[in-house]
Amino acid sequence: MFTHIFIYRFKCLIRDRQLVFWTLLFPILLGTFFYMAFSNLNNEETFKPIDAAVVNDSAYQQDSQLRMVMQSVSKGKDRLFNLKTASNQAEADNWLKQDKIDGYYTSGEEIKLTVKETGISQSIMKSFVDQYRTSSSAVTNIAKKNPKALQNGLLKDVGEQRSYTKEVSGGSAEPNNVLNYFYSLIAMACLYGSFWGMKEVTDIQADITDRAARVNMAPVHKLEAFLAGSCAALIILFVEIMILLAYLQFGLNISFGQRTGYVLLTALIGSVLGISFGAFIGAVIKAGEGLKIACLIVVTNLGSFLAGMMYMNMKYLIATYVPPLAWLNPVNLLTDAFYALYYYDSLHRYALNMGMMVLFIIFFCAGTYLIVRRRKYASI
Amino acid sequence: MTIVMIVNDQRHLPRCGCSITLSTVGEELLPLIIHVKNLVKRYGELVALDHLSLDIKEGEIFGLLGPNGSGKSTAINCILSLLSYDKGEVEIFGRKMAPDAYDIKRDIGIVMQNVAVFDELTVYENIDYFCGLYVRNKAERKRLVEEAIAFVELDDFRKFYPKKLSGGLLRRLNIACGIAHKPKLIILDEPTVAVDPQSRNKILEGIERLNAQGATIVYTSHYMEEVEQLCSRIVIIDKGRVIASGTNEELKAMITLGEKITIEAFSIDAEQLRQMRELPGIVSVEHIDKRLIIKSGKGTNNLETVLDFLKTHQIGFGRIYSELPTLNDVFLEITGKQLRD
Repeated sequence: MFTHIFIYRFKCLIRDRQLVFWTLLFPILLGTFFYMAFSNLNNEETFKPIDAAVVNDSAYQQDSQLRMVMQSVSKGKDRLFNLKTASNQAEADNWLKQDKIDGYYTSGEEIKLTVKETGISQSIMKSFVDQYRTSSSAVTNIAKKNPKALQNGLLKDVGEQRSYTKEVSGGSAEPNNVLNYFYSLIAMACLYGSFWGMKEVTDIQADITDRAARVNMAPVHKLEAFLAGSCAALIILFVEIMILLAYLQFGLNISFGQRTGYVLLTALIGSVLGISFGAFIGAVIKAGEGLKIACLIVVTNLGSFLAGMMYMNMKYLIATYVPPLAWLNPVNLLTDAFYALYYYDSLHRYALNMGMMVLFIIFFCAGTYLIVRRRKYASI
Repeated sequence: MTIVMIVNDQRHLPRCGCSITLSTVGEELLPLIIHVKNLVKRYGELVALDHLSLDIKEGEIFGLLGPNGSGKSTAINCILSLLSYDKGEVEIFGRKMAPDAYDIKRDIGIVMQNVAVFDELTVYENIDYFCGLYVRNKAERKRLVEEAIAFVELDDFRKFYPKKLSGGLLRRLNIACGIAHKPKLIILDEPTVAVDPQSRNKILEGIERLNAQGATIVYTSHYMEEVEQLCSRIVIIDKGRVIASGTNEELKAMITLGEKITIEAFSIDAEQLRQMRELPGIVSVEHIDKRLIIKSGKGTNNLETVLDFLKTHQIGFGRIYSELPTLNDVFLEITGKQLRD
């Protein structure tokens, strides 16, 4: 009997084109759009040397200290400037007009910075020259008061940069903010699986559909029919999530880290979470199918928004200001579980997310069971 | 008279093999298939079933007739243990009906008022799915499904999805899903609602054939013509109460009306109307929209008298026709309202 119901429920579900679109094609399309929109986001965050120039006039020639500093920050892979040397101010102005440089320095009693517009590069150039002035002034003052300091390594000390905050990496992977968009997309796809769960409950509750009433009249235990249908729904959803994961990993090169087994386990738990959530909503809300669908869409999309799918910082704002909400949002739990697998070496955070999801699943399943097990209805 | 006895004749035993209540119909003892006693169902203040009692015997086509909202579907759902009820007893095949009484359910087929099939499954798959909930053996199930398809004449549509079927074909599919497993008791809850006359006739013929094959039929409807045509015994309910029961003839014998004469395109003055009301055997005369409706009592043929009256008084008239009382007249006389109100 289980197999008979399973096969036909599988056929019913897989032939529901609307559901297949929303649970498989829509996340794939959205993932593709994300990829097109965010593929350069990480590249834009890497620092590029600033195109700068210095006017090579007599003042510059005489200021050996500045020349030395400018040369040192314009060398190597991590250089600050792509430095050009203009023979005179007119040439530097010409480069500036042609946007060949972001700004140029002119030596003198005070080093002058000339820019055409304001921006990040110009701000960095200004900060550089300010720091140079401060350091230079400090060295001059100390040398005047204590000439021996120069012999005791003053220049070395001034030139040395010290950071008083220590960066501790949570894992061996490179931090990647863009991944959060894709992980929350997978989480959303899992929660869209709630439509499958709702359909199963709808077709088993005699007070909801006539089909269900007919099933209730058959000599079949209602929970057996429900379990067979739910298994069919779970298999379909899990395969859909696998297809989505494969597309993201192999089609769009989205990294999921090295722990493939855990990633699959997360996808499975996410699928169970989606199905059980839909079944719970389907059972709890007694109003029409439209209201149930609206409820699922609102919860899933709001959860996705709060998990950072539309605005990346939202996830961190919620974690900072309303942390309980982060733990009560199933989409966030799934998103965070995927990110924890990718980024952290430790499984502690991952286990916390998975534990919360399992609690949610137990809650949804218990609630659904208590409602669905009812054998007679007060009204049909 | 109703007696209770153990039946030794295995042909009449349901598969659960339990004791059966028997009832007399004339000289014949027939097992009771459904026994309902004092069923009460309330929706808050509204009493949907008010101490409803029914006895349905094996082999009959039992009609449950009543206007919309009279409690027919509620009664069926309570009998089938889909709905909870406040008070009363329900026995099917002599055994208390319950949601987990699978032995009883195995022998029941239900055809819902609304079409209850899956849009994602073809005609064949729908019938096979519902039949499979009752019959595990694949070969037997295949045979039963083929028989059901042939029975409702859907052979040319077996690979069609329900959305591609007309209303009448859908109703036939709905019936096939309910009867494919060859149940002993078939409950049809208004199966011809919104069906064209041709499909309706096919459905009614099919029900008669099912009955001829040995199934007991419970047929609910608010279409009196169908119930008159089909049912061997009829119960009329209103506001959740049985207001009359018996055969078609027995029900009509309960009322005073014997004949209804209608005269169209009619013009008559008040004095002539008064004189006509005083004619022997006439129960009532109503003048509505240029039509004269004359009701007469039983055992008197007043058509000739009325025609004589019209000729004597030189009253012109158009079409004239006479009708025997219908179940609607029975309902009207008992409740004071039309069956289709």
